[in-house]
Amino acid sequence: MSWRERSVHVFLGIVTAVTFSILYAPIVLVCVLSFFPISLHKVDWGTFSIDAYVQLFENADIFHALGNTLIVGLSTVVATLVIGTTLAWRACRKGGRASQIVEFAIFLPFLLPPIITGLSLLTFFQQIGIDRTLVTVTIGHILFVLALVYRMLLNRLKVLGTSIIEASQDLGASGWQTFRYVVFPGLRPAVVTSAVLAFALSFDETLITVFLSGGEQTLPIRLWAMIRVGFSQDINALVTLILTSSIAMTVFAAMMFRGRKMAGGSAT
Amino acid sequence: MSERMIWLLIYAVPVIAICGPLANFLVIGFWRVDGSSMVADFSLANYVTFFTNPTYKTVLIKTMYLAAEVALVSIVIGYSIAYFVWKCPRAAHYPLLVMSTIPLLMSYIIKLYAIRSILGFDGFLNSLLVAIGILDHPSTIFLFNQTAILIAMSIVYLPFAILPVYLTLERIPESLLHASSDLGASAWQTFRYVVLPSSLPGTVVGGMFSYILALGDFVTPQMVGGVQGFTFGRVIWSQFGMAFDWPFGAAMSTVLLFLSLIVIGIAGKIVKKAENI
Repeated sequence: MSWRERSVHVFLGIVTAVTFSILYAPIVLVCVLSFFPISLHKVDWGTFSIDAYVQLFENADIFHALGNTLIVGLSTVVATLVIGTTLAWRACRKGGRASQIVEFAIFLPFLLPPIITGLSLLTFFQQIGIDRTLVTVTIGHILFVLALVYRMLLNRLKVLGTSIIEASQDLGASGWQTFRYVVFPGLRPAVVTSAVLAFALSFDETLITVFLSGGEQTLPIRLWAMIRVGFSQDINALVTLILTSSIAMTVFAAMMFRGRKMAGGSAT
Repeated sequence: MSERMIWLLIYAVPVIAICGPLANFLVIGFWRVDGSSMVADFSLANYVTFFTNPTYKTVLIKTMYLAAEVALVSIVIGYSIAYFVWKCPRAAHYPLLVMSTIPLLMSYIIKLYAIRSILGFDGFLNSLLVAIGILDHPSTIFLFNQTAILIAMSIVYLPFAILPVYLTLERIPESLLHASSDLGASAWQTFRYVVLPSSLPGTVVGGMFSYILALGDFVTPQMVGGVQGFTFGRVIWSQFGMAFDWPFGAAMSTVLLFLSLIVIGIAGKIVKKAENI
């Protein structure tokens, strides 16, 4: 590297560092504040306390919303994995027109502004007389994350290649046997990564959910409602706990993804 | 039933679940509201109202401008970060990429709440600026206006632009870069004529993501924009809440839908063209 390239690199490094600190500042602030009491809009830096965490565990309302979010998230993961694997498996073996149409359709909710997906489902459910429950929320989430799961699984299937599938079928395995014993083991890392991502997206989904949740609210919707009337300390504590677990989840997914990339790399 | 039929049925479910509501929605845009119920007759009245009332048009144009600013910030900073990561030693790529992805998974609502408290009158930014002597007293200019929306949206949507750019940079073969410098190109020429064109698809995709998300967002303007901060997404949202005029809301969302499809189409064209070179 010449000195000029080096100085560009250092400059971009500074840009990156500053941007990262701005991106992380909001969340770090919330985490730090969860340990210090606030009185009269001023943070009392002198007193370190875990009162906020104690308060949190007395807040049944929040835990109910958290429970709803987990139910929706897990259902979304299971449903998108089943639908995504089925569609990707078919698209990989038999491309063609029908596959392309499906692909276009499932990418729409991922690419369009969430408000459009939310509103179109809201009016649709209202027209056909379906009440808004956690089921409608889950349907919204499935449509939203399906594209991502499908894409990741399809990419992995393409990397695995069709030759092992053909070999398996030549040896007399049925379609299901081929999938179960030949394809699925190779697909597993992609399944785990996309499951974690689907769960994370569902967990935080706000802009579609707000149209589809009736009386039963998910966590982001509950938090939004609480922010409008004022915010209590226990929310900071909750966010800290959620953030810690979501970072752990991201790092886990990232490690799985890397494992998969290396396995793919050494095979070729 | 043949296997083909079963597959067509399986295909039909997601297609109907997605396209059905969208089609239904396009139809409702032509209806009207009478009191608190929708009346199903066909008229262009909603669209006429939208395109003749300057208030709505102004909000739309302002929002498109705002989204373009958000996309520009995302592209410029996102590209810089992706390029920096790409030029770092190989072992650092993965941790840096994970670091740039984590903000995407932080709670959206909480991020906005925290940004609001940082930008506010009692907030961290004001305290800092007063402490280092740039301001004499805390200012209210950071919150509840269009600038606050721009700042908040940039923070929320910027991470979407980093990964797509990095992925296209990473696909540039090293031999191509060596060839360029062997043929006597300067570092700038290599960047301008080799790196930049090759990374165009990722840049366009990243920009498209932040543009479309900013265009339809209605929570950010509500949280940090205050009464002044009206965006198109927020106007649509209010038709389904306070104003309770679903057909008009549906008509405006149809405008948003077509606008987004045009953006996706243009982005797709650019990506295709760049990949064919």
